[in-house]
Order: sequence, then structure tokens, then C-alpha cells
Amino acid sequence: MATDAVGREDLYAVLGLEPRASGEQVERAYRFSLELYHEGALATYSLLEPSEAEQQRARVREAYEVLSDEEKRKSYDANQGFLPPDSPVLAFPGPVHARPEQELPEVLTGAELRKIREARGVSLRHIASVTKIGLRFLEYVEEDRFAFLPAPVYLRGFLQEYARLVGIDPRRTADAYMNRLGPKP
Amino acid sequence: MALSVSDVLPRTGAATTRRQIWSIGGGKGGIGKSLLAASIGWQLARMGRRVVLVDADLGGANLHTCLGLPQPERSLGDFVQRRVESIDEVLTDTQAPGLRVISGASDLLSAANIKHLQKVRVMNQVRALDVDVVLIDLGAGTSYNILDFFLLSDVSILAVVPEPTSIENGYRFIKSALYRRLRAVAPTDEVRDLIDSALDPKNPLGIRTPAELLARVESDDAEAGRTLRREMAAFQPRFVVNEIRDVADVAIGHQLVAACGRHLGLRASYAGFVHHDDAVWRAVRKRRLFMSDAPTSRAAEEIRQLTRGLVKGESLGHGY
Repeated sequence: MATDAVGREDLYAVLGLEPRASGEQVERAYRFSLELYHEGALATYSLLEPSEAEQQRARVREAYEVLSDEEKRKSYDANQGFLPPDSPVLAFPGPVHARPEQELPEVLTGAELRKIREARGVSLRHIASVTKIGLRFLEYVEEDRFAFLPAPVYLRGFLQEYARLVGIDPRRTADAYMNRLGPKP
Repeated sequence: MALSVSDVLPRTGAATTRRQIWSIGGGKGGIGKSLLAASIGWQLARMGRRVVLVDADLGGANLHTCLGLPQPERSLGDFVQRRVESIDEVLTDTQAPGLRVISGASDLLSAANIKHLQKVRVMNQVRALDVDVVLIDLGAGTSYNILDFFLLSDVSILAVVPEPTSIENGYRFIKSALYRRLRAVAPTDEVRDLIDSALDPKNPLGIRTPAELLARVESDDAEAGRTLRREMAAFQPRFVVNEIRDVADVAIGHQLVAACGRHLGLRASYAGFVHHDDAVWRAVRKRRLFMSDAPTSRAAEEIRQLTRGLVKGESLGHGY
């Protein structure tokens, strides 16, 4: 769902990629996207105004510039909290200690988080636009798609930001969510 | 009176594995939908499925000609007008074992004043046919009746050719069908009004795509947003690119899927493509189907691949 974030989607989404895409996939996706947004391209000319197509081309080039450059991509990933493509998925360093607390359960699933958020009338888009966390990442959190979640240190940060905007205890929320992931050897 | 979509949405859960309804739409005429329907149906029958083709093409029902048959004696109209009691009586056999045709369903789609109950009766009888696949050739257009049949289907095939007018019509068809589906599940009047205004491309709210509509609804009403998001996720048209003349045209299908995902917020897929092939029109001239007249032709092989993919629910991937 690339166009819904007002130009704030991540660079991977611009090229139609997942954050763990290989260098070769980045190349292929770049060439594909260039054709997709080529001036007068059959598949897009009737969907996008010429100025929008030009904007898309610029974003494709911008995304490629970062993602095709190993150093730039690394620092971009770190900034966004993405795992580098070669890192093991969710290698938690040790047990995460949950704290007993009053309103929040000890263990929180993504679906429960969503329920709380919706009950409080906060949209994911709002969270994304305030925190600059990619909308897709927030969705991954709520969908418990662990394979796509960033490294724990970043995930914790995301969860705390999320909780702050929803209006629940940031640290406890992060604990309760991450508690589920359990200790990893 | 239009048939409400909720009457005809595919039933989810149990019992959908056996009988399936497939439909082929595309918004534009003259892009080979009838031939696609006939040949896919023919191939399904070859694969051992019991198939009924339903000719609902308003632009001139000629599915029977594609199959080398004379105009059938009975049409769906006979059933609608109750000249026959059961829909089985308007089925016509073809030369291919396991493949039968119902002609004249176009009357049903074009008749603006057809009674709601009549339509429901047809829908139910189509659903109740003792076959494996009902394959409906929707022909051109985006009338409510056509969209309803498209939405009713378990497999919704969108045919295009690599030409601007066809692609434009394809997008229009997808948007119309999707908005109709969303409208049917809109939980409040406010959401329904939003959907209605989104249908006008120059609406003052500036909503131009289903994705933008969804974002707007979500920011107003989170629960409604989730309902709409679910419906959008369940709507998965499958593109078939027909009449390909150049190897570069193959990529059009991938681009359409990417454009739907990135700019409409829709999860379409690319079911397959069929090259332009002289063997096809040579067979048409003889009033035969190329699948049997020229089984070794490229088009015939591509139809076989396409049909196998559709049966398995496979697609050609994202193309990069």
C-alpha cells in the first residue's frame, strides 16, 4: 500500500521490495520500476498525472541511489530500524523481563495492541506520520510478523513510540510485547 | 433493481473447494474474451473437470460459435421466463466431453428491469449446477449486473490486451467492481457517501484511488476502515494479457499488478498471457476452436499453462 503514506513510505516499498532484499533484487526492481513509470508507460499513464509519474521516477532513483550503495543502505537500514539482509532474524540477546503492572497484561499480542489503539481512536497513519516509523512496520508489529520486525533494540523503540501516541505506558507495552518473543539462546 | 452484492459474494469457508464460479471480464469489447473463455473451459474439461460455460456477452453472444456450435435452441431466457423449469434444460452439449454451454445470459445482464428475484433465482441455480466449474464470459461493460457476476466469482479473471484503451477500461472495471463491493459492506451512511464521492474522479475530497479512500475512511472511523481493508484484501482480480505480439508485452501484466498494488492498494495477480497467433483466427474462420484445431500452436500451449495456473491458484510472480 505504497501511496497512502503521504510520500513517507520507505525506500524499499518505493521499489516494491521487502527490507531484506538482496542486491540483485534491488537492481531488478529498479529496472522494473523505471519501466513502470516510464513516460507514457501503458500500465501507469492512465493512473498517474504526468507530474506524479515524474515524482515517482524521482523517488525510484532516490531509493535506488541509497539501496544500491552498501554503505548508504546500511546506515539507512539502521536509521529505519531494518535488519541488514544478512543478519539472523530476531536474535534476541537474552530473556526480556516483564514487569507486573496494573492496566496492561503481562503479554501483549499485536492484535491486542491494535484493539487498544483502535479503542482509543488513534490511526496507524497518525502514528506513522508523527514518529516517522514506516506504516508497514507498524502493521508488521500489529500483525505479529516477527520475520519482518527490526532488531530488538529498534523494535523496543518503535513500541515505546507507539505506546506513547496511543496513551499507554511505553516501557510496559514494549516489555509485554517483547516478552512473547521469549529468550533466545 | 440491482442485485445487492451481499447476495452474491462468494461464500467463504467450507464447501467452496468443490464447485467454483469463474468469470472473465475486462470492460472492453473485442479483446478475445469469448475465445479465452471457450479455450480455458475446453482445457478445464480436458483436465477432467465438468464445466459449464455461460455466455453473458452483451456485445453479441457468440461463445457457441467459438466452440463450433450452431445457435443453441434454448437460452437462459427460457429459464428466466419460466418456459423451462430447471436451468439444466438450457444446457447445450459441445463436442468436448465434460464441456457444456448456456447461451443467452446476456439478456439477463442487459435487462435493466429484470426482477430482483429472477436474478437471485438464476444465481442460485448457477450455484447449484452439478459441475466443477461454471465459467462466465461477461463480455464488455461495467454495468452493475456484470460487476455482480464478477464479484460473485471465486476466480475473477480480468482480460486485457496491450493497448491503451483496453488497459484504461481494465482499470475502470476493477475500480467499479471494488467500489461496488466496498459499498455493499459500508457500515455507515458516512462511509457509503465517501465511497460514492470517490467514484467521481473529480470529487472535491481529492480521493482518487481506493487506497486514498481507505486512508480517508480509516482516519475517520477505524472500525469501518478495517472492514473495508478486509474487503479490499479479499478482492484479487487475476490479469490475463491476451494478443501479445512482442516479447516486451509480457511484462505488461507484471506492471499492471505492480501499479494496482502501489497505486490502487489492490492485491491483483498475473495469471498468464497468450500470444497473438494466426492459428487462432484460422480456426475461427473454420468455426472451430484452436485448442482442438491447432493443439500444438503457441496460443494453445499458453492456454494450457494459463489454465493449469488458474486451477492451482498460481501466478507469474512480480516480474523482478
